[in-house]
Amino acid sequence: MHTDAAPHRPSPSLATWLIACLSLLGAFALSGCDKPTRDVYQPVADSAEISAWFYHLVLAVDAVILAIVVTILVVAIVRFRKKPGDEELPPQSFGNMKMEVAWTVIPTLIVIGITVPTLGGIFELARKPDLNQKIIEVEVTGKQWWWEFDYAKEKLNTANELHVEVGTQVILNMTSADVIHSWWVPRIGGKRDANPGRRYPFYFRPYQVGTFDGQCAELCGASHALMGTRVIVHPKTGADSYEAWVAREQQQAQKPATPQQEAGQKVFMTKGCVACHTIRGVSELAVGARSRTSGPNLTHVGGRTSIAARTLPMTAQNIAKWVKNPQAVKQGALMTNLGLSDEEAAAVGAYLASLK
Amino acid sequence: MASIADFARAPAPTYHMARPPKTGLMDWLTTVDHKKIGILYGLSGLFYLLVGGLEALLFRIQLAVPDNDFLTGEQFNGLVTMHATTMVFLAVMPIIAAISNYFIPLMIGARDVAFPRMNAFSFWTFLFGSLLLNSSFLFGGAPNAGWFGYAPLTGSQYSGSGIDFWWTGLAMLAISSMVAGVNFIVTILNMRAPGMTLMRMPVLVWMILVIQFLLAFSFPPITVGLILLGFDRTFGTVFYQVSMGGDPQLWQHLFWLFGHPEVYVLILPSMGIVSEILPVFTRRPLFGHHAVIFSGVAIGFMGFGVWGHHMFTVGMGPIADAAFASTTAIVGIPTGVKIFNWLGTLWGGKITFPTAMLFAVSFIPMFTIGGLSGVMHSSPPIDLQQHNSYFVVAHFHYVLVGGALQGLFAGVYFYLPKITGKLLSEKLGKVHFWVFLAGMNLTFFPQHFLGNHGMPRRIYTYPADAGWNTDNMLGTIGVILMATATLVMVYNILTSWKKGKPAGNDPWDASTLEWMTTSPPPVHNFDFTPVVLSERPLWDHKRTPGFEIPVPETSESIHMPSNSWRPMLISVCILLIMVGLLTHLWPLCIVAALGIVAGVYLWVTEPA
Amino acid sequence: MSVHAEAIEEGHGTGSLGVPNLKLAMWAFLGSECMFFGSLIGTYFFYHDHSLAGPLPKDVFSIGITSISTFLLLMSSLTMALGVDAMRRGKALRSRNFVWGTALLGLTFVGFQVFEFHHFVTEKGLTLATSLFGSSFYVMTGFHGAHVTVGVIWLSIVGWMIHKGHFGQEKAINVEVSGLYWHFVDIVWIVIFTFVYLLEFAK
Repeated sequence: MHTDAAPHRPSPSLATWLIACLSLLGAFALSGCDKPTRDVYQPVADSAEISAWFYHLVLAVDAVILAIVVTILVVAIVRFRKKPGDEELPPQSFGNMKMEVAWTVIPTLIVIGITVPTLGGIFELARKPDLNQKIIEVEVTGKQWWWEFDYAKEKLNTANELHVEVGTQVILNMTSADVIHSWWVPRIGGKRDANPGRRYPFYFRPYQVGTFDGQCAELCGASHALMGTRVIVHPKTGADSYEAWVAREQQQAQKPATPQQEAGQKVFMTKGCVACHTIRGVSELAVGARSRTSGPNLTHVGGRTSIAARTLPMTAQNIAKWVKNPQAVKQGALMTNLGLSDEEAAAVGAYLASLK
Repeated sequence: MASIADFARAPAPTYHMARPPKTGLMDWLTTVDHKKIGILYGLSGLFYLLVGGLEALLFRIQLAVPDNDFLTGEQFNGLVTMHATTMVFLAVMPIIAAISNYFIPLMIGARDVAFPRMNAFSFWTFLFGSLLLNSSFLFGGAPNAGWFGYAPLTGSQYSGSGIDFWWTGLAMLAISSMVAGVNFIVTILNMRAPGMTLMRMPVLVWMILVIQFLLAFSFPPITVGLILLGFDRTFGTVFYQVSMGGDPQLWQHLFWLFGHPEVYVLILPSMGIVSEILPVFTRRPLFGHHAVIFSGVAIGFMGFGVWGHHMFTVGMGPIADAAFASTTAIVGIPTGVKIFNWLGTLWGGKITFPTAMLFAVSFIPMFTIGGLSGVMHSSPPIDLQQHNSYFVVAHFHYVLVGGALQGLFAGVYFYLPKITGKLLSEKLGKVHFWVFLAGMNLTFFPQHFLGNHGMPRRIYTYPADAGWNTDNMLGTIGVILMATATLVMVYNILTSWKKGKPAGNDPWDASTLEWMTTSPPPVHNFDFTPVVLSERPLWDHKRTPGFEIPVPETSESIHMPSNSWRPMLISVCILLIMVGLLTHLWPLCIVAALGIVAGVYLWVTEPA
Repeated sequence: MSVHAEAIEEGHGTGSLGVPNLKLAMWAFLGSECMFFGSLIGTYFFYHDHSLAGPLPKDVFSIGITSISTFLLLMSSLTMALGVDAMRRGKALRSRNFVWGTALLGLTFVGFQVFEFHHFVTEKGLTLATSLFGSSFYVMTGFHGAHVTVGVIWLSIVGWMIHKGHFGQEKAINVEVSGLYWHFVDIVWIVIFTFVYLLEFAK
C-alpha cells in the first residue's frame, strides 16, 4: 500500500528534479505511517470484510494498470526525447486500428471482471439475515450531534455507544430526527446514511471482541466533527458478556450514594434537565422521545466510556464542564445552557457519573 | 514550401460596424468581442482560483494538527463549502470559459461566436452571480452545507442566510452556463470555416462541444433543485420538509443528475488541451484522433447515467446500486482509450519539454491515479467505506487538480502567448510545475491513507489518537507548496505580459488555425476566412505540398458587431431579482423583471 | 467568406449545418428546457400522492374549465403556425394579425390560470405551503405559466416589429423561432394536462 505512485520524469535541471523527487519520496516515506485505530482494512465484522475483499481485488487490478501506464510513459519520454540538433520529423502515424480495438476490448474485459463479482457483493451486503437465529435489532437515530440506540426488544435506550455480541447478527435500522447523518464505524463496515423520514437497515455480524470507534460521515452542521460513535463487541459469556450488559442496562437507575450526588439529582430534577432527559426510576418526563430537542437517556450514563458523542472521556469533571456550558464544548449544541453554578455543575457531574 | 509568412500577404479586410467602437474601460464593460470576454473570464477565473486556494489554505491550517482551534466548526464548514463552490463554478469553469471563448472561434476559423451579445450576457451574469455568492461573507456568513448542499441541512430550520446567497448565486451561474452552452453549441456546429468538417475539428473544440451539451442539459435539473430549495426557504413550500412528507433524496437525485455531468464538464476540456499539446511537442499527429473524439463523446453521454454512484450509502436498494455500479464501471473504458492514445502519441515522437508539455504529460499519470481510484468507487462494497471519506477527497483532487487544473495550467502556458503576444518565462514555468506537482502529491496522496484509516471528510477537528496526524500535516505542507507555485505562475503571467519575449504568430510550430493569425489576433481574428483542407490545416500548409491554405488577393468586407450595454443591463436586472428574493423586497423583483422585458426589447431593436 | 461575415449578424446566416444560427440555438435551448420541465414534472409525480394533508388533486381539479383553457392554447398553436406561414409567404399584415392573435389566446390562457390559482387558494384552501401536492403543483404549473407569459411578451414584440415593418419576409426566421418556442410551451402543457389533470380521473 505504500507504493510510490508518483511519476518520475527527467527535467532539464538536475537540481529541480532532485528537489521534487526528494519531497515526493519524503512524503511517501511518511504517509500512512501513523498507527491507525480505524483502519477499514482491518475488519472485525463480515460487512467490512466484504468491502476489504473487493478493495484488494480492485487495488491489485489498479496497481497493474498504473504500473503499465507509468512504465510506458517513462520509457516513452526517456527514449523518444528529441536529441539536440535532430530536426527531422518523426514518422507521422495517425493511429492503429488494431491497437484501438485492443485497448477498448481489454479494459472492457477488466470492467466485466470487476463488475460481475461486485454485483454479487452488492446483494451479499443487502441480504436479509435469517430471522430464526438470534438477532440484535437496534433502532439507530442520528440527531444533531449524537446517536440514539433503541433496543426495542430489550426495552432499553442508550446513546452513542452501541453494544453488540460477538458472532451474533446485528440489524441496525437507520433513521434521523433532523438532517442526514451517516453512521460509520470503519472496522465494522461501510457507512449507511441516516435519512430523516426513512428507515434503512444495515446488517453485520461482528467476529472480534473489542471497542471500535467511528463517527458521523455526512456533513450535518457546525459540530459534525464531534458526532462520534463507538461499538463495543461483547463476548458471549462471562461478566463482560452482552447479556450481562443488557441485564445491567435494564435495571432502574442507581440511587445517589453521597450528599453531592444527592444534590446533583436535585439539580437534575429542578433546573430543567428533565424536559429533555430521562433517568428511569427518577424522571421519565422527557417530551418527544424522538424529537430534535430530546436529549440522550441518562439512566446508565455513567456506564458509558465518553460523553457528548465521544467528545470528552467519561469523568465527573467532564460532565460538569459540559453541563456548565455545552456550547463551549460543542459549537451549536442543542442542549440548553441552564446557567448552573460551578457547585451545581460539579454535583450533576458527580451524580451522573455514578449512574453506572 | 509555404510558410505562415504567406498570410501577411492578404489585404486587411474592410469593416462595417453599426456604431463607432468604444475605448478604454467603456470598451471592456460593453464589449461583445469573444477575445475580450475570454480575457475577462480568464482574469475572473484566476482571481477566484486564488480565493479558493486561500480558503483551502485556511482550513488546511486548521487541520494541520489534531484538536486545533484556529477555526470553529461553523467557519470551517463555510470555508470548505466556499472552497468547493469557488473552485468548481468560479475558478475552473471560468478558466474553461476563457479558453473556449478566446480560442473556439480562432480554432474553427470564425470571426466571433454565434451570438456575441449573449456571450457578454453570460459573462456578466456569471460575474454578478459570483459576487453575490461571495458577498455572503459580508452579510451573515458563508453558506456552510457543503458544495452539494444536501437537504434538509440547507433548510431554513438548520442553516442561516448563507444558503440564500448560495442558491441565488448558483441560480445565476446556472443561467449563465445554459446560455453559454446554447451559444457555443451553435458556434461550433454552425460557424466553422469552409472545409472544417466535424471530424477535422481540433479535439479541444470537440471536447468543448461535448461539455456545452452537458452544460445545456445538466444545469436544468440543478436549477429546478435550487428553485425548489429557494421556494422552500422563501415562500414556505414543503419540498424538502420531512415533517410534511417531503423527501430530501429528491435533492440528491436532482443535484447529482447535474453533478456528475458537471465533473466531466471540468475534466473534458483539459483532456482536449492535452490532446492539442501532445502532438505539437512530439512533432506528430495525435494517435487515434477519432478514437479520442468518440471516447470523449461517449464519456459525455455516460455522464448522464451514472449519478447514482454518489448515492450508494443512502439506501436506494441493491437493484439500483447494481445498475449504477455497472454504468459507472463502463465509463472506465473510454477513459482508458484516451489514456492509451496519449501514450501512443508520445511513443515514437521527438519530444521536447517546455512547461506546457510538462503539465500535459504529468496530466496523464495524475489523472490515471484519480481515474483508477474512481473505478474503486464504482463498486458499492468499496464505496460504502470510501464514500465521504478522505479517500474520495484524494480521488477527486487527483482528477480535478492533477487532471483538470494541470490541463488548464498546460493550456495557460501553451495558449497565453497567443493572447498576450509574449512568451511566459520557461524558468519560472518549470519552478511552477515542479513545486506544484510536489505539493499536489504531498497533499493528496496521503489522503488515500486518511480515508482508509477512517477519517471522514468535512470534519473540522480530529482527535490525536486516531492515527491521522502525519498525513494531515503533510497535506498542509503540500497546500503551502501549491499556493507558492500558483503565485509563481501569477507572477510569471504578469511579468511576461509586460516584458516577455515576443511570441510571434506561431511560437510552437503548431498545426491548428489559431496560430496562423497574429498574437494577439486582430479584432476580426483573420484577415481572410481560411479554407480548411485537413485536420492539421496549419501543419499541412507548412509541410504538405498541395495542402496550402489559399491566400486571397482581394480584401474581404466584414461586418463586426458593435459594443452594447444591453447584456450587462439584463444581467444587472437578474441580479436585482435575486437580491429582491434574498431581502424579500418584492417590488424590487417586479421592477427588475420589467427591466428585463425593457432590456430584451432594447436588445432586439438594437442595430447590431 | 460571405457566409461567415453574415453569420456574425446575430445568427441570421445559414451556417455550416445549413440551418440558421437562431433556429439551431432555439432547438438547443428547447432541449435544455425539456430537462427543466422534465425535472419539474418528475418532481410533481414523485410527490403528488405523498401529501400528508388535503386537498387532493381530485378535490381541486375542474376538468371542464381546464379543458377550455387547454383548447384555447391548442388553438393558439394553430394561429401561430398560420402566422409563421403567412410571413414565409411575405404577407406581413396577415402574419402580424395571427401573431397578435396568438399572444391574445396565450394571455387568455394565463388569465384562466390566474383564475384557477385564485380559486384553489381561496375556495379549496390549497396553497404553496399546504402540502407536497400544493407545492409541486403550483411550482410546476407556475413555471409553465411564466413561460407562456414570456411567450406572450415575446409575440407581442414580434407583432409590433412586423407592424413597424422591421420584420419582413427576409426576416421570417424571427417569427419562425418565436413559433418554435410557442409550440414547445404548448406541448409541455399537453403533457401536464394529460398526465396531471386527466390521469387523475382515469384512476
